[in-house]
Amino acid sequence: MTDQDIRSVGAQLITARNLTKKFGDFTAVDKINFNIKKGEIMGFLGPNGAGKTTTIKMMTGLFRITSGDVWIKGLEVKKDINQIKKFIGYMSQKFSLYPLLNAYENIEFWGGVSGLSRKVIKEKKGLISNEIPKEILNQQVKDIPPGIKQRIALFSCLISDPEIILLDEPTSGVDPEVRRNFWTKIYELKKQGKTILVTTHNLDEAEYADRILIIHQGRIILKGEPSELMKARKTDSMENLFKRVVTNHETN
Amino acid sequence: MKRIKAVVLKEAFHILRDPKSLAILFLLPVVMILVLGYSLSFDLKNIETVVIDYSQSELSRSLIQKFSHNQTYSVTQMVKGEGSQSPEETAEEMLKSGEIKQFIIIPQDFSSRIKKGLISHIGVVIDGSDSNIANIVHQYNEMLTFGFISELRDLKDIFQISTKLYFNPENKSVFYIIPGLVAVIMIMISALLTSLSVSREKETGSIELLFISPLQSHEIVLGKTVPYVFIALIEGALILAFARVMFRIPFRGNLWILLVFSLVYIVTGLSLGITISTMASSQKVAMMATLLITLLPSILLSGFIFPLDSLSPILRAFSYIVPATYFLEVIRGLILKGAGWKHFASQGLILIGFSVLFLVIASVKFSQQRKAGK
Repeated sequence: MTDQDIRSVGAQLITARNLTKKFGDFTAVDKINFNIKKGEIMGFLGPNGAGKTTTIKMMTGLFRITSGDVWIKGLEVKKDINQIKKFIGYMSQKFSLYPLLNAYENIEFWGGVSGLSRKVIKEKKGLISNEIPKEILNQQVKDIPPGIKQRIALFSCLISDPEIILLDEPTSGVDPEVRRNFWTKIYELKKQGKTILVTTHNLDEAEYADRILIIHQGRIILKGEPSELMKARKTDSMENLFKRVVTNHETN
Repeated sequence: MKRIKAVVLKEAFHILRDPKSLAILFLLPVVMILVLGYSLSFDLKNIETVVIDYSQSELSRSLIQKFSHNQTYSVTQMVKGEGSQSPEETAEEMLKSGEIKQFIIIPQDFSSRIKKGLISHIGVVIDGSDSNIANIVHQYNEMLTFGFISELRDLKDIFQISTKLYFNPENKSVFYIIPGLVAVIMIMISALLTSLSVSREKETGSIELLFISPLQSHEIVLGKTVPYVFIALIEGALILAFARVMFRIPFRGNLWILLVFSLVYIVTGLSLGITISTMASSQKVAMMATLLITLLPSILLSGFIFPLDSLSPILRAFSYIVPATYFLEVIRGLILKGAGWKHFASQGLILIGFSVLFLVIASVKFSQQRKAGK
């Protein structure tokens, strides 16, 4: 067994060890450690600027890791990012679809870029047409309402059927109903055996995750199952729990 | 190939569905050609001249006639200065205010000395604040006075210079300014097209998704360059056609050579643009950098305005790395001289070399950015 195999045993699909990112003197992510099991939904919680996006960007190779490392499926991000890219799907809070292309064209683009055959892309277009009316899919993305846009974005992110799905603030800027539907979709993905890391600053969403990591000022200040964490701290809402740990962390 | 095709199609849709940007990119060259084409002329049409004739003789009048009959000059004779000023003082004031470009003083003994066979002087004071204009005025003066003297002494019977100006017989500066402008605008527009397209993706964040995708760096670079070749080629043709119609520029060469070289030159511009965009963080930065990098050297160091031979050795060396230098040789040669393929082999190869170099730099830069992250 190689070192890499050892790290991925125990069904830990993703392992971060002392993962750190510095921008000059500013430490955005400070020696964080976490594991994510296969088939798990991990909620990554924290206020804006806490270091959530920076962590995801290090996991995808978009940001250079300052120190520490992440292993995904036993592969080291620092060394094997090109291989790792093959089994991750990433949906960014900032951008997901080209606004001047219609939904079908976006799907064709991301399918083509992922190297899918024309036949598979056609099948994928058929699949999305069952979910969303064709008239909408034929519109340029800039004219499509945010809720539906977000579903199309998730569909494009999943187009090459990745094992690991990294969702960076996928539900920001959409209404509660859309958010609920979105989480239904995420549960479906979990059932298919996908591993999902989802960042959010919406506290009510955190309860949907199997486990959560609360990150504040670049450090993980709490991790565990949402219900147990709330029980242990004798609170019934995520919001109270969050406020308490954040205040604790700041006063300490 | 499949992946490049996906990028090409996406890019093409994006351009065609953004009519505002497209309109700007098509209008900009037309406006530039019009404004610069009409304002940048080195031909002097009106040399305002004041003549102070103290001689008042037949000979001096015939010399003045030489000037006033020439369409390039507009001659006024001055007998008295303003108020208590001497005529020279008044003329100097006029020179200062820019009313006139020169004044000529014919001395009292002008005619008598000539008749006696002695050397006779006339004084000419030229506004030297614009050395270019001053030079031209001086040359025109020499030409006219030479004509006057040769008539006077019947030198015509001794020798005559027959000059034939090849390629641009009327010596119209517009004939070499416009091709130069075409070269400048073509590289500016093509570089802008690609540099804005990549930096736009940086601004929206879509470049990150491209970086995470299985796309190879050279596939991004090629996919982003190819669709713009067509747009830039259409723009190039428009610029050329517009220049030809508006300024009646002759065309003596082979249209195919022009097309092929325009294509090569455009690809050089597109590749330059994409290289710039790998280093620029936003569309604004990309735009400023592109304008600076394409406009300044193409105008100053390509032979467009200043002849290459008049540049200092360091600047002359720089001119070799300005793509416009080579295209300018081709386009001037084609338009005015009707030169053929064989005259431009080296220019073509150098431009292709530039394109390959830029594309490789851009691909390497992209790869580095992907590998290293920020």
